Amino acid sequence: MKRKIMAVMLVSAMTLSLTACGGKNGGGDGAGTNSEAVSTVAESVSGDKDTLKVWCWDPNFNIYAIEKAAELYSADYEGLNVEISEMPSADIETKLTTIVSSGDLSLLPDVFLMQDNSFQKYVQNYPDIFTDLTDSGIDFSQFAEAKAAYSTVDGRHMGIPFDNGAAINCMRTDILEQAGFTLDDFTDITWSDYMEKAKVIKEKTGLPILTVQAGAPDIIMMMMQSCGASLFNKDGSVNIEGNDILKQCMEIYSSMVKDGTILEVTDGDQYIASLNNGSVASTINGCWIMASVIAQENQSGNWGITNLPRLDGVADATNYSNNGGSSWVITSNCKNKDKVFDFFKNTFAGSTEFYDDIISKGALATWAPAGKSEAYAEKSEFFGGQEIYSMIVDFATKTPSNYTGPFYYDARDAVGIALSNVAQQGADPESEMKEAQSAVEFNMGN
Amino acid sequence: MKTGKKSMTLEKKKSLTGWGFLLPATLLICWMNFYPMIQAFILSLKSGMGVNLSFSGFSNYTRILSDSTFKQCLFNTIFYLIIQVPVMLVLALALASMLNNKDLRFKGVFRTAIFLPCATSLVSYSMIFRSMFANDGLVNTILKGFGIAPVGWFANAWTARLIIVLALIWRWTGYNMVFYLAGLQNIEYSVYEAARIDGAGPVQSFFKITVPLLKPTILMTTIMSTNGTLQLFDESMNLTSGGPGKSTMSLSHYIYSTSFVQSPRFGYAAAMSIIILVMVAVLAVIQMKVGDKR
Repeated sequence: MKRKIMAVMLVSAMTLSLTACGGKNGGGDGAGTNSEAVSTVAESVSGDKDTLKVWCWDPNFNIYAIEKAAELYSADYEGLNVEISEMPSADIETKLTTIVSSGDLSLLPDVFLMQDNSFQKYVQNYPDIFTDLTDSGIDFSQFAEAKAAYSTVDGRHMGIPFDNGAAINCMRTDILEQAGFTLDDFTDITWSDYMEKAKVIKEKTGLPILTVQAGAPDIIMMMMQSCGASLFNKDGSVNIEGNDILKQCMEIYSSMVKDGTILEVTDGDQYIASLNNGSVASTINGCWIMASVIAQENQSGNWGITNLPRLDGVADATNYSNNGGSSWVITSNCKNKDKVFDFFKNTFAGSTEFYDDIISKGALATWAPAGKSEAYAEKSEFFGGQEIYSMIVDFATKTPSNYTGPFYYDARDAVGIALSNVAQQGADPESEMKEAQSAVEFNMGN
Repeated sequence: MKTGKKSMTLEKKKSLTGWGFLLPATLLICWMNFYPMIQAFILSLKSGMGVNLSFSGFSNYTRILSDSTFKQCLFNTIFYLIIQVPVMLVLALALASMLNNKDLRFKGVFRTAIFLPCATSLVSYSMIFRSMFANDGLVNTILKGFGIAPVGWFANAWTARLIIVLALIWRWTGYNMVFYLAGLQNIEYSVYEAARIDGAGPVQSFFKITVPLLKPTILMTTIMSTNGTLQLFDESMNLTSGGPGKSTMSLSHYIYSTSFVQSPRFGYAAAMSIIILVMVAVLAVIQMKVGDKR
């Protein structure tokens, strides 16, 4: 009897998996013929033309924004539907790579969202994916310059800047108070000052000032950008070995790890948890981190936002930087480009009404006119009554732009390894930087 | 008509049916395994980034020789292989012979419990191990309870590798045990009884009866585990993300990252996977030469 049941189960499992395979195949074929039909008889199939296929991530943020944009656009202009496939940015990138390698560009959506740091790499390696937007009628001069630089290649605009990654120093004011500090003590300061104050906080409250994800050099990259420095020279060559600014950043980091003012955690979840469960006094990250901070509602009023510390003795050092952020791409497979251009022109690049709405989700504009709207002057109760939105837009406009290049992630990876060797094993920064330099050069060379 | 039927002997007919049954599988294997392998080999002769590929002979293979990351990943992978495979197989064999005991009660429960890890998804068990060994995870909490300072498991290369080995052992021991259990079913119980009457203890009968008679199964599991460990990916990717640095990254993980994380170099990635294929083949041949003395 037992065996019979087993056999039935096995057979049904097999049939299920077989039909699943068949289903997938069928679906794939269907999609293929569909898009073919559209490209050949585009004029007659009006239903498909108004549906915009979009790939992006985060339902509370990006997905909400594009849906809202479509809703507003449909109300004021022609009808437009968006059909969203939710997928993390890493998956989008993997899919793009796979699609381009397969040579079947008809599998691309109409529009997708791309991390700013990946942008140059993809434009360089897979130019066929992108639609040049330079002459699309979208006014790129109204976007923050440092932001638009990510999606600009050789003076051509390949993407529409979207969310803001301006870096903020997000601090627990109640913990600062216990250590005898206020938010002002951390505003417009230098890193050496910051490190001293961090020690005091550690002494008085026992808490580290920062938690970071081990091996992820986000904070180093933010420190670098705050003075417009990059891991690459303008001509694209690697600038890691003998990069004094990078060395200074790595030394700050490792000395803070040593005295316990930076705590390294193993993954992203633990990093977020450390913010929410009060085991850290502050965090420095792109302003999108606010969404995770706000999630802990009972800490309302205990947080405050200020700018970053700046590096000592560096000529172009500022208190402003950037981490993350993304831009929209219109693919070469987009069926009705003129309409999509018009859509973006009248929403993401032309509607204060739109930006006023999505700010409720913490999605901050890089489109300058939006910052002047009244919604941005609203006070945030969670952040102790600060006018955080206009503040962050202000931070964004003051952020220096830096060169990322197609090898950004290769360089970032190498620096991450150097950093963990220096901070954890006490390795010599200069020789580690030399190692990182040769690792990146190896990746770039044939 | 009749003569035609007669001209085909029974033997021929049988072998024809046999080939008939083999044909679909053979075609599928050729199409889905060998064809991609040949394609991968051709790809490995091309170099360049993204879709801008051009033939460059064996330059990718010479490039491997000067790639320090490849050497590091090779070292990691071989380390996993040398430590994990023997420990796991010995453990699996010991468990199998214990659970093969006729007088043991709740045998089914134990067998299921030991096999169950194999039914968990690779990603989810990796996540669970990661959270167990996190700074404020289960293991460190227990250590703290005993008054021992918490360990930064993933911050040190050797402890991180140890966790990968531990995780692999937990996940795969039961899988191999099942093969041994199946093998043990073929050994007559009377052999053990005879040995016992002749005065052999359990240790002796394990080494003199179980191990020699299970040799083909042991050989098979060794080859399979070697193969599996050389292609290790999920644990490296999800459990440690290759860190700290690249000190726990496996070869397959490195191949993935050259294709999808770094600037894409498919030719180079393909060359590395061909190297793995060669390694697997060579090791399997050696193991077969050593283990199979029929």
